[in-house]
Amino acid sequence: MTSLPYEERPHSTAQIAHHPLHPMLVPVPIVCLIGALLTDIMYCVTAEMMWADFSAWLLVVGVIVGVLAAIAGLIDLLSSPAIRSLTPAWPHALGNVVVLVLAFFNALIHTRDAWTSVVPTGLILSIITVLILPVTGWLGWAMVYRHGVGVVR
Amino acid sequence: MMMRSHLFRSTLLCGSLLCLAGCNDGSGDPKAQIGANPSLPELQQYLLPPMHIARVVGWKNGETPSVTKGLKIQAMATGLQHPRSLYTLPNGDVLVVEPKAPKAAAIKRPKEIVMGLIESWATSGGNTGESNRITLLHDSNGDGVPDQQSVFLDHLNSPFGVALVGNDLYVANTDAIVKYPYHDGDTRITAPGETLTPLPGGPIDHHWTKSLVASPDGSKLYVGVGSNSNITENGMEAEKNRADILEVDRATGRYRIFSSGLRNPNGLTFEPTSGALWTVVNERDEIGPDLVPDYMTSVKDGAFYGWPYSYYGQHVDPRVQPRRPDLVAKAIPPDYALSSHVAPLGMVFNTANGLPQSYRGGAFVGEHGSWNRQVLNGYKVVFVPFQAASRVAWPRMS
Repeated sequence: MTSLPYEERPHSTAQIAHHPLHPMLVPVPIVCLIGALLTDIMYCVTAEMMWADFSAWLLVVGVIVGVLAAIAGLIDLLSSPAIRSLTPAWPHALGNVVVLVLAFFNALIHTRDAWTSVVPTGLILSIITVLILPVTGWLGWAMVYRHGVGVVR
Repeated sequence: MMMRSHLFRSTLLCGSLLCLAGCNDGSGDPKAQIGANPSLPELQQYLLPPMHIARVVGWKNGETPSVTKGLKIQAMATGLQHPRSLYTLPNGDVLVVEPKAPKAAAIKRPKEIVMGLIESWATSGGNTGESNRITLLHDSNGDGVPDQQSVFLDHLNSPFGVALVGNDLYVANTDAIVKYPYHDGDTRITAPGETLTPLPGGPIDHHWTKSLVASPDGSKLYVGVGSNSNITENGMEAEKNRADILEVDRATGRYRIFSSGLRNPNGLTFEPTSGALWTVVNERDEIGPDLVPDYMTSVKDGAFYGWPYSYYGQHVDPRVQPRRPDLVAKAIPPDYALSSHVAPLGMVFNTANGLPQSYRGGAFVGEHGSWNRQVLNGYKVVFVPFQAASRVAWPRMS
């Protein structure tokens, strides 16, 4: 694809000095939710509560910052017909809503005490969450790197 | 009857945001869980466990709990700060133990932040002031109105149990049994205490009340040490010498585990007829409004009562890993269920003549009350009549 001139690229609305907020925030939930899967696996292997405690923190932080990232993304989406018309836009948004809902319920599962806070339901939810993330991430990257959403030059 | 000189009346606050399912947790009749063979429903696990927190409000002037026919109730003392257990000295003076909970351990999980907030509704009767002390009530003519109410012992460390053997008064702080000299008629102890033995305390000190009783011959002390978690979520290493009744040699301070698997044993008392040690136990939470029934039981030397691996005998708790089928196989069921989440904290056998004859030969149990079910349970004193040979029958509310 040839690069579009700035005026024709879809603009980000939730931005500070042309720095879009959404891509600044999304690494936090992505890392936290992947991290929670890893610490869940460690808990399954060791039955050492420290790992389950890590999972609980990672899920809570992932959900909180994920909601902030979703708000920024939603502002961009709803205020720009150009963004909404892009093929990856809605699948990216809906996929990540599913991720956040799963992570929210996973955080509640992780408030249980000891083994069943992870095994089996918590672990299964962590796996499904992390399986969705590369798909929605791919779609998100397509919007920036291929369609130039929020790119100034 | 003045067993509960509580200054608080509980009103109900629906744990609003936690009450998602329209305040119906599907709980059954609590009476089906009283007695030697309680009905045990299937275990449930929750996204949010059923909760119903009773909020603390003060008594209005002249307001009292209601008691059954033939009994009378009046406040024996007011102005106390978090009174949690009582001990009667041989001369009739009553000691009121007024502890503060120990300093909380460092937060391990986000859940603890939320639970800390919720629990503060249940216990925050305002500032408890200068507690961690023991108040003495002296009532010379036995009319239930003390002529003296004064500080007996101060600057303790979350005290709960008290036991007197001869002139040695033992106070079970949360982290140690401390010995003080006491002579008949003393109304204040100023002598420094002498540590008999340290007990499992902080930094994690989840169930911190240490119930205490002396053996009838005075040679041993028995101390109840509650578990350091609901169900091992603080790690197994935090549970060393916990969920146990320890037998302490009074001469040397050495102790051994007398009985184990008792999640939070309180109200240690010797039954006067059989001479057996009895306790009331707070069982585990968050597996349903009708699980697990709290209970009272005689305590056998060397017996294992299940916690954390199993409940009410050999019902395995899936939350505990690694599993220990070898220990579950040894677990014995307790004698008598009091129904779920009533939180028994005190027990006393009635051997005196002050109450009607129908209350002879049985135990009174003080129930702190539930949080882990929508329909409140407990919040009362019950009487459990003992038949011959320590067989227990249906309890009466009193």
